Amino acid sequence: MLIWRSVKRHALTAFALLAVGYLMLPIAVVILFSFNDPAGRFNYVWQGFTLDNWAEWDAVLGLRDAVVTSIEIGLLATFVASVLGTLIAMAIVRHDFRGRGAANVLVFLPMSTPEIVLGASLLTLFLNLTNVFSLGFTTIFIAHVMFIVSFIVVTVKARLIGFDRHLEEAAMDLGANEWTTFRKITLPLLAPAIVAAALLGFALSIDDFVITYFAAGGEQTFPVFVWGIARVSVPPQVNVVASAIFLVAIGLALANVLWQFRNARGERGIA
Amino acid sequence: MAGSTGPVGGGGFFHRHPRVTPYLLLAPGALWLAVFFLVPLAFLGYQSLQSGIFPTFEFTWEFSNFSDAFTDYREQLLRSFLYAGIATVACLLLAYPLVYWIAFRAGPWRNLFLLFIVAPFFVTYLIRTLAWLNILADEGPVVGLLRGINVLDDDGRLLATTFAVVSGITYNFFPFMALPLYVSLEQIDGRLLEAAKDLYASPAQAFLRVTLPLSAPGIVAGTLLTFIPAAGDFINAELLGTPKQQMIGNVIQAKFLESLDYPTAASLSFVLVAAILVALLFYAKIVGTEKLTG
Amino acid sequence: MRTRLTRGELLRRGAAGTALLALPSLFVGCGGGSGDAGGGDELKTVLNFSNWPYYMDTKGKRHPTLDQFTAATGIKVNYFEDVNSNDEYFAKVQGPLSQGNGIGRDILVATDNSRFPILYVSQGWVRELDKELIPNISNLVDAQASPPFDPERTYSLPWLSGMTGIAWNEDLTGPVTSISQLLEDPKLKGKVTMLSEMGDSVGVVMADAGDDPSAATDDSFDRAIQKVQAAVDSGQIRRFTGNDYAQPLANGDLAACVAWSGDVASLVADNPKLKWAVPEKGGIIWTDNMLIPTGGSVATASTYMNFVYDPKIAAQIAVGTGYISSVKGVKEEAVKLDPDSASNVLIFPDDALLAQLSQNDPAMLGNEEYITKWQAVLGQ
Repeated sequence: MLIWRSVKRHALTAFALLAVGYLMLPIAVVILFSFNDPAGRFNYVWQGFTLDNWAEWDAVLGLRDAVVTSIEIGLLATFVASVLGTLIAMAIVRHDFRGRGAANVLVFLPMSTPEIVLGASLLTLFLNLTNVFSLGFTTIFIAHVMFIVSFIVVTVKARLIGFDRHLEEAAMDLGANEWTTFRKITLPLLAPAIVAAALLGFALSIDDFVITYFAAGGEQTFPVFVWGIARVSVPPQVNVVASAIFLVAIGLALANVLWQFRNARGERGIA
Repeated sequence: MAGSTGPVGGGGFFHRHPRVTPYLLLAPGALWLAVFFLVPLAFLGYQSLQSGIFPTFEFTWEFSNFSDAFTDYREQLLRSFLYAGIATVACLLLAYPLVYWIAFRAGPWRNLFLLFIVAPFFVTYLIRTLAWLNILADEGPVVGLLRGINVLDDDGRLLATTFAVVSGITYNFFPFMALPLYVSLEQIDGRLLEAAKDLYASPAQAFLRVTLPLSAPGIVAGTLLTFIPAAGDFINAELLGTPKQQMIGNVIQAKFLESLDYPTAASLSFVLVAAILVALLFYAKIVGTEKLTG
Repeated sequence: MRTRLTRGELLRRGAAGTALLALPSLFVGCGGGSGDAGGGDELKTVLNFSNWPYYMDTKGKRHPTLDQFTAATGIKVNYFEDVNSNDEYFAKVQGPLSQGNGIGRDILVATDNSRFPILYVSQGWVRELDKELIPNISNLVDAQASPPFDPERTYSLPWLSGMTGIAWNEDLTGPVTSISQLLEDPKLKGKVTMLSEMGDSVGVVMADAGDDPSAATDDSFDRAIQKVQAAVDSGQIRRFTGNDYAQPLANGDLAACVAWSGDVASLVADNPKLKWAVPEKGGIIWTDNMLIPTGGSVATASTYMNFVYDPKIAAQIAVGTGYISSVKGVKEEAVKLDPDSASNVLIFPDDALLAQLSQNDPAMLGNEEYITKWQAVLGQ
C-alpha cells in the first residue's frame, strides 16, 4: 500500500514536471532563436550567437510601429473596458432590475462567439458605415474594448458578489455622499479585482490576432505584423520582441507572487 | 466614472433613485456592446441574405445561402467540432493531473507553477504556433529521434498532419482548461478529503467521490472556454495542416479575405454559431444548466 | 491595504494619462484616411512601396538600387515585402480602399494572371501615373505597351515578369520534370506544395494535360481541377501556399513545389541545392505591375517608376532577382554587370523557352464559378 502510494505520488510529480516542460518548450525555442545569427533569410537553423538582434530590435521595417500600436491600443482599450465593465458588474450584482437576465446574456455572448465571427461582423459594420468608421487605429480600439468588457465584468462580478456592503452603509451613515463613499470605500476594496481584470484584458488585447486582423485595415499591431511577416520569413527581431513581452509579463507576475508571499508572511507574523 | 455629486450628507442621487441607478450604470457598457456586437451581427445577417459576386452584392432574401453553406462545408464543420472535441479532451486529461498536483502537492511552489501554466499565454499566439513548426520540422531533432526509434517511418513526418493540428490546438488552449480547473480544485476544503479518509475511503475512492464531483464546475467551465474558441480556430490548421485538415474557421476566413464571397462567409458564420449553440444545449442537458451560467 | 491602493491607483492614473495622450490619435483615425494620405501632386520625401519578397536586388541586408534612388533624388524608400499572394493582399487593402482611404503606400504590385489588376482599375482604387515625370516610359518594350486591363498604360507599368514552373531540392529528390510527376510520384508524397493562385496552379496543370491555358474551357478547367483534387485526396499535396513556399523548400520540409522562376536564385544563401525548371509540357508566364493606390503620392511614385525604367537600373534589378525586365536595352547593361547573365534564360528567355510558356486566360481568372471550384480544392 505504502509503496504504491509513494510511486503514485512521484508519478504525479514527474507528470507535472513533464507537463511544465511541454508548456515551456516553444517559449524556450523562441527565446533561444532570438539570439540566432542567420546567414540567409530564414531563422530556422541555429547558426551562431549574437546580441545584435536585441540591440537593433527595430531594424525590421514596421516592427516598431506595430509594437507601439499594440501597446497604445492595449492601454487605451483596457482602461475604457475596465470602466465600462466595472459599471456593468456593479449594476448586475447590486440591483435587481428588469432586464438583468438579458444584461447577463448580453455580456456572456461575446465570450461564447468565435473570434472569427466577431471580427468578420465588425468588418461588415465598418465597411457599411464607411463615413463614420475608417478602418485603422480607432476601429481596432473599438473592437478590443468590445471583447475585453465581458472578461472584466466576469472578473469584477466575482469579487462584488462577496462584497460586504455594511462598510458602505456605515460610511453613508457617517455623512459621506455617494461619490465619496464610492471613492474611499468601494473602489479601494474593488481595486484588486479591477486590476486583475485589467491585466487580463491587457494580455488579451496584446495577444489578439483574429479580431484585429479583420478590423485593422492597413494598421498593424504586433500579432498582425507577425502574421504578415511569417509569410516570408520571421526575422530574429520578432523573436526579440516576443521574448521581451514574455519576460516583462513574467517579471511582473513574479513580482506579484513575491509580494503576495511577503504579505502572507506578514499576516502570519501578526498571528 | 459613475457617481454624481448629490447633496453632502447621507443619501445621494443614486440612493434616492434606486430604480434608475442600475440602468445608468449599465448604459455605457451595454450601449458599447449593443452597437459593436449586436449591430454588427445584424449587418452580418443582412449580408448573409445577399447574393452576387464581388463587388456587386444585392439583398435578395437569399435563404438558400444557409442551406448551401451547411451542405457545401459540412465536412469542415464536422471536422472542426471533432478536432475541438479531441483537443478539449486532451487538454482535460493533460491539465487535470497537473492542476491536481499544483493544488494539493505543490505547497509553496504553487504560484510558480501556476505561472508556468499561464506563461505560454504571454508569447504571442502566432509565435508559439510558429515555434512548433520549428520544433517539429521534418529535418529537425524531434522527428529525427522518432524516426530513429521507429515510431515514425523513415519518411514520416509530424507536421502537416491531423496530429499536428490537434496538438497545436491543445497546446494553445491549455491555459483555458487549466485555470478554471485550478480555481475549482483549489477551493476544495481539505477537511472533506480527510473526512473521507477517516471513513475508510481509499485514495481512488476519495478522488472519485469527493474531489472529482467537487471539481465539476471547473471541468464544465474549462471545457466551454476551450471548446468554443477551438471550434472557430483557423490558425493551427493554416500553419500546421494540409488542405485535408481545413477547419470551418479557415473556410470563413478564406471566403471573407480571399474569395471575397461575403454572403457565403456571413451565412457560414451564423451556421457556426448555431452549431455551437446546439452543442452547448446538448452539453447543458448532460451537465445540468445551473453549472453553465453564473 | 494602503500598498494595494497605491499600486492600483498608480496603474489607473498611468492608464488615464496615457489615454489622454492617445486621444489625438483617436481623432486622426476618426477623420478618415491614413496619416500620409492624400496630396498626390507634390513630391514627398518618403516612398512607401509594397512588393513581393525576393523581388528586389539584394546585397546583404540592403537593396542597392533603392539606395541609388535615395542618393539620386533624396527620397527615402520604405520597402515592404508584404505581398504574399494577390488574393491576400487585395483583401487586406480592399477595406480601406473601398472607403476611399489610403493604405499608407505609394506603389503596390499586382500580377496580371490574377483578377486583381482589373478590379483595382475598375473600382477606381488606383491613381493615374504622371507620365510627364516618367520620360523613360519610352523604354517600355512593345510587347507590354497595351495589356487588357490597362490598354493605354494610364495606371500601371510592369515591374518584372516571371515564369511559373517547378522547384525542387536536389538533396531530397532527383529532378522533377513534369507536373504529373509532381502530383503523382509516390516518392514525393506529402512533400509537395502548389500555389494558391488559381492562374499559376491550374495553368500549369492544364498545360500538362495538353490543354491551352490561354483559352480555358469548362472541360479543360474541370480536368485540371480533378487532377489537383486527386493529389490533395491522396495526401500528395502538403499545402497550398503563396510565396511562403520558400521557407519550407529551403529547410527541407518540401522536396518539390510549384514555384516562381527567380525565387530559387534568392534562396541560394539558405540552401544552394535548390533548382528550378519549366515543366516539360509547359509553364505560365506573367507580369507584375506597379500601381498607385488611392492616397498614394503620384509624383513620388512616378519619379520612382522613371528611375527603374532606366536600363542601367533595370539591369541591376533583373540580374539581382533573376526575373525578366520589360525595359529596352537591359541586356546590354546586364552584360556589363555580369557577362554570364546574358545566357541566363530565366532573365532573358530565348525563343525556345518562350514557346513553352503561355499566358493565363483572363476570362478564366474572373469567372466566379471557377473561383469557387478552385477554392473548394483548397479545402476552403
